[in-house]
Amino acid sequence: MTMRHTDVVASALEQIRANKLRSFFTLLGIIVSVTFLVAVVAIIQGMNAYVRENLASAVIGSNAFQVRRFPIQVGLIDDEIFRRYARRPKITPSDARAVRAAIPDAQAVSLQSGWPTPTSDVVWREREQDDIPVFGVTADYQVVQDYKFSGGRPLSDLDVREKRPVAIVGADVADKLFEGVDPVGKDMRIGGSLFTVVGVVAKKGRVLGQSFDAFVMIPITQFEMMYGRRSTNTISVKMREAKDVAGAMQRAEEAMRIAHRLRPSQENDFSVETADALIAFWEQLTKVLFSVIPAVVAIGVVVGGIVIMNIMLMAVTERTREIGIRKAVGATARDIQKQFLAESIALAAMGGMIGVAVGWLFAMGIAAISPLPARVTLWSILLAVGLGAGVGVLFGVYPASRAAKLDPITALRAE
Amino acid sequence: MRNTDEYPISTTEEREAVVATAGAAPEEDWVIVTRGLKREYDMGGEVVRALRGVDLAIRRNEYVAIMGPSGSGKSTLMNLIGCLDTPNDGEYWLNGQLVSAMSDDQLARVRNKEIGFVFQTFNLLPRATALHNVELPLVYAGVPGEERRRRAEEALERVQLGARMLHKPNELSGGQRQRVAIARALVNRPSILLADEPTGNLDSTTSEEIMKVFEELADQGQTVIMVTHEPDIAAHARRVIVLRDGVIASDDKRSAFTQKVGL
Repeated sequence: MTMRHTDVVASALEQIRANKLRSFFTLLGIIVSVTFLVAVVAIIQGMNAYVRENLASAVIGSNAFQVRRFPIQVGLIDDEIFRRYARRPKITPSDARAVRAAIPDAQAVSLQSGWPTPTSDVVWREREQDDIPVFGVTADYQVVQDYKFSGGRPLSDLDVREKRPVAIVGADVADKLFEGVDPVGKDMRIGGSLFTVVGVVAKKGRVLGQSFDAFVMIPITQFEMMYGRRSTNTISVKMREAKDVAGAMQRAEEAMRIAHRLRPSQENDFSVETADALIAFWEQLTKVLFSVIPAVVAIGVVVGGIVIMNIMLMAVTERTREIGIRKAVGATARDIQKQFLAESIALAAMGGMIGVAVGWLFAMGIAAISPLPARVTLWSILLAVGLGAGVGVLFGVYPASRAAKLDPITALRAE
Repeated sequence: MRNTDEYPISTTEEREAVVATAGAAPEEDWVIVTRGLKREYDMGGEVVRALRGVDLAIRRNEYVAIMGPSGSGKSTLMNLIGCLDTPNDGEYWLNGQLVSAMSDDQLARVRNKEIGFVFQTFNLLPRATALHNVELPLVYAGVPGEERRRRAEEALERVQLGARMLHKPNELSGGQRQRVAIARALVNRPSILLADEPTGNLDSTTSEEIMKVFEELADQGQTVIMVTHEPDIAAHARRVIVLRDGVIASDDKRSAFTQKVGL
């Protein structure tokens, strides 16, 4: 003979409904914290997924790895290590040949100019495109990147060997500079030098707001005549199957050590890395964010919980007489405690749910109007609602036990 | 007003016999038996002896008024009878159960099952409909929704409020509110209806109306105990107990009481 659970929940919801505005303001702290949690986690997770699925393969290529002078994590290292990297020799065409020879089963081995990519004005007739990135590549780079051509042909080994003034252009350049005209066979100027367009690369799309279609690509031999040898030339190796990548990386490393005449005691003066390194680098960045979020959310939630406790204490005072009536007609201390606890849990859980909804919309809104992708994850939703309910219990116990302990006679006499 | 002597009222001898044997469970017929009931309050170091040993016996289906000037201990007695409070000393048997030895939770259950309260200030939940107010004791009895609603409707019909079930207290007159409270008191079929100054907030016409409801309930077999300080209200009961200084000063049939106070 005690109160049914459905009645406990129903009475809690009834109380919240009866004080809609107050309930809303009570929940504001929880709502804001949870919104923040869900939205930020969604955006970071979205970016992680994007880096994993799009950016990494766009930068390095699938089933591919790179032999680089600097490792990908270059952003997070201290000066000492940076100076050591700076002493490493540049990657040269002969390094590329050595790697090529060591991995005869590679689908492609390329050498391309590295970061920072120079930009240049590109001019055709009276039209001009400013600040177009210019890449110097060997023919194999187009294979590594899985380029499809919407017109013309790729750069050839002959183009590279003969240092021919030819270029392939990205879809953006083709559309804007050669609007309505087939660019293949046209002569354009890159930083004043004349190049003949031989091919147009099919549209790749945008990643994190960065177009991958606005570029011109020329033989690396031509590139080095214009810009000199870059200190960041990179060798890319593409294998036919993912399972071959690890072995090939080892052979590339051996070939590079021989080419650079390293003694066994000396460490590598180059880095061999796959897209995983880029993903790892990125996730290392976001891990920092993930360690800050809980602190921010925790503060918000504690403040939100204290607000709930305050409001519940106020409700106990306000409803003293009601509590007296309920006790007079047979509510036990436990019944009253359950009712008030249910109310604070329902309040807080509701705050969590509203926060999830708002956070979700927020993340989607950001994804819609900005290049940042968003991915709402189940664990952040469960965490948010669980957090809300937990706060409800934690900060609801004290007001509820105050209500339960009220003496019915005094409570009935209250105004 | 009908002649009370046609109603079955316990005699002084019968009551004395029931009260005499301390510790013995009274026969089923006796709804309320108290033996040497005492209640003291500590008011800032000073001990106030509100009840100094009350021996009381009420038989099923009696309609009793408890009277007394303020400070006589009638509120204290009513709180004890209503199981809202526990005595410092003495026994209280309610419907065969020794209530004076019970825990708070057990008392809550007894209040729910055995007692129907009617208060001076009605004490309805202001935001709830009449129906929901009447359902309240059944909520705490764990009665499922369907049955609860049916029984609450029945109780409201019984006090002629079938048409106003979905009104909230502020949409009802004082008399109607008190009838909602009576319906709430009756809904769980309690052993006693315990009314504390039920007409204190009502005008005389409405008071008569409420007294008629009590009269009918008593006729139907309901045990009614009414605490009041107004002699003309007390005179509606069939037996009137007067408290003075924490003890029972007199316990009369209505006819004897009305004669005494000159009504």
